Amino acid sequence: MSEAANNPCPIPAKAGIGLRFQHHQVVLDVRPDVAWMEVHTENYMGGGTPLRYLDAIRRDCPISLHGVGLSLGSAEGLDPAHLERIRKVAERVEPGLMSEHIAWSVVDGTYLADLLPLPMTEESLAVVCHHVDQVQTYMKRRILVENPSTYLRFRHSTIPEWEFIAAVAARSGCGILCDVNNIYVSACNHGWDTSAYLAGLPPAAIGEIHLAGHSVRPLPDGSTVRIDDHGSRVIAEVWSLYREALARFGPVPTLIEWDNDVPPLDVLLGEADHAATLLAAAEPEVRSVDAA
Amino acid sequence: MSTLLETQRAMRASLVGGDDRAAVAMLADGVGADRLNIYRNTMVTGVTKALRLTFPAVHRLVGADFFEGAAVRFIAQHPPRAAYLDDYGAEFPEFLRSFEPAAALVYLGDVARLEWAVGRALHAADVEPLDLKRLAALAPQDQARVCLVPHPSVGLLAADYPVDAIWRGVLDEDDAALAAVALDAGPVRLLVERRATGVEVSRLDEAAWCFATALFDGWSVEEAVAAAAGASAGTLLAEHLAAGRFVDFHLVPAKLGASFAATHKARP
Repeated sequence: MSEAANNPCPIPAKAGIGLRFQHHQVVLDVRPDVAWMEVHTENYMGGGTPLRYLDAIRRDCPISLHGVGLSLGSAEGLDPAHLERIRKVAERVEPGLMSEHIAWSVVDGTYLADLLPLPMTEESLAVVCHHVDQVQTYMKRRILVENPSTYLRFRHSTIPEWEFIAAVAARSGCGILCDVNNIYVSACNHGWDTSAYLAGLPPAAIGEIHLAGHSVRPLPDGSTVRIDDHGSRVIAEVWSLYREALARFGPVPTLIEWDNDVPPLDVLLGEADHAATLLAAAEPEVRSVDAA
Repeated sequence: MSTLLETQRAMRASLVGGDDRAAVAMLADGVGADRLNIYRNTMVTGVTKALRLTFPAVHRLVGADFFEGAAVRFIAQHPPRAAYLDDYGAEFPEFLRSFEPAAALVYLGDVARLEWAVGRALHAADVEPLDLKRLAALAPQDQARVCLVPHPSVGLLAADYPVDAIWRGVLDEDDAALAAVALDAGPVRLLVERRATGVEVSRLDEAAWCFATALFDGWSVEEAVAAAAGASAGTLLAEHLAAGRFVDFHLVPAKLGASFAATHKARP
C-alpha cells in the first residue's frame, strides 16, 4: 500500500507543528509559514466549529491525522465504532499521513484514557499486527505506528521494544512514526541505549518523526522518572538524538508536539524552525543506501 | 505467564478499581508500584479535564477542588467507554443530583443537564437542514402525515430552576445577573441548538414547548398541532423549519396515523 496513491496532500519531508484548538484562529489569521500540521483525530470526531477550522486550514496546508484512542494493542479487538469515527474524519480531511500508537487503552469496554504499555510478547505482537492489518484494510491505506514512552516494564516481556516495532512494520507493511523524545524518555526510564534503539528500527519504514518536551519527576520510592507530558521545549539531548536519527533515516517529516501549557504559536514555529535547520542539513542519500 | 488480556485486566483493576495487587505482581524486577500511579494520574487528569470542558459552569460553581473530588468519584463509577471524550459524561448530571456534598446547590444537577445539552449541540454531526422544497412538493393530504427528523444539534430541556440565567451568569462572571436570579421563579423550558455563531439557549413558553416536544419526539405535524392547543402552530413550525432544526421527514402511514393518535392521546 503506497502513500503516494490516492494521496492528494502528501506530507513533505519538512518540519511541521501539532495544531491545537488554541491556535485555530491565529493560524487562519496569520497563515504561518509551516510545511504541514498534524491534529489528533479524536478532536475532530464531532461536527461544528473544529471541523470548519480544519477545513479552512487544510486548504493550503497538508494535514496529518494522529490517533490517540484506537487501542491497537487491545486483547479484545478494535472498537468498530471508533474505527468508523476515524474513517469519517479521514474521509473529510484527506490526510497526508495517518498514525496510531504501539499501546493500548481499552479493556472490558473501559477506555483508560492513556497510552498504556504492552507486555512485549509474541502474543502482543500478533495482536498488534492483526489490528494494524485490520485498520489498513478498513482505511484502504498504509498507516504509521508510533513507539511509546513508557514508565514500567512487565515481568513477562520477552522482546526488546525496537525489535517489536520493527516486526510490526515488517509483518503488516505499516510505516513507523519514530518519536525521538519517546525513545529518550523510555531509554532513561529503563536504562536502554538510545543508539541501539535507533539502530534497531528499519530506516525504509520510517515515515515521520515526533519531537516534544518532557518532564522529570522524583517518585516516593526514590527513583526518578521522565514523563512524556508534551508541556515544554525539546531538550538538548533530544535534539542531539534527532540529529542521530536524521543521519540514520535521512530527511523525514518531523513534527513538534506540544499539548500541555500550550505556548503562543511563535514558540512552536521557533521549535519547528530549529528542526527545519537540522532537516536541511540531513543527507538524503543516507536513506536510499540503508534501504537498499 | 500472564496473557495480554490478564495483563490488561490487572491494569484496569489498578487504574480504575484501585486494586494494584495483580498489576504489581506483573511488574519487572526493580520497577516500583509508584510507576502505576503515573498512569492513574494521567488517566484521572485527562478524564477530569474532559469533564471540565463539558461542564465549565459546574466547575466554576463548585470550585476546582470540589470538582476534582467529584470527578474522581464519578470516574470510578462511570469510567469512559470510548476514546471519544467529547461524548463522555452523560451520567454526570444525575451523579451530581445525588452527590451528597453538593446537596446545598439544589440547581447544580439542572445546570449540568443544560451543559450536557450544550455539549451535545456543540459536537453534533454536521447535517444539512431539510430542503423545504421537498415539503412543499407534497400533496396537501400528505402534509399532515409528515413526521420531521430533528437536527442532531437541537435539544429540548425542562428544568425546575432558571438554569439558563445561572449558566450564562456563571460563564460571563456576571455577578449582577447572578444576584438577579430568582430560584423560586418556577420551571423553565429551553431549546438548545448550534447556530453558525455558536450554541444558543432560548426559552419556550408552555404552548411552544408542547408543540416542540411533540415534533421532536416524532409525532406527525397534525398530532403536534393538536397537542399544542392555543399555540400559533403554523408560525412556530415555520420558525423551526427556517432555523434548520430538521434534517429529513417521513410520512406516517394513514392507518398507522390513526392508531398512533389513539395511543398518544393520553400524553400530557
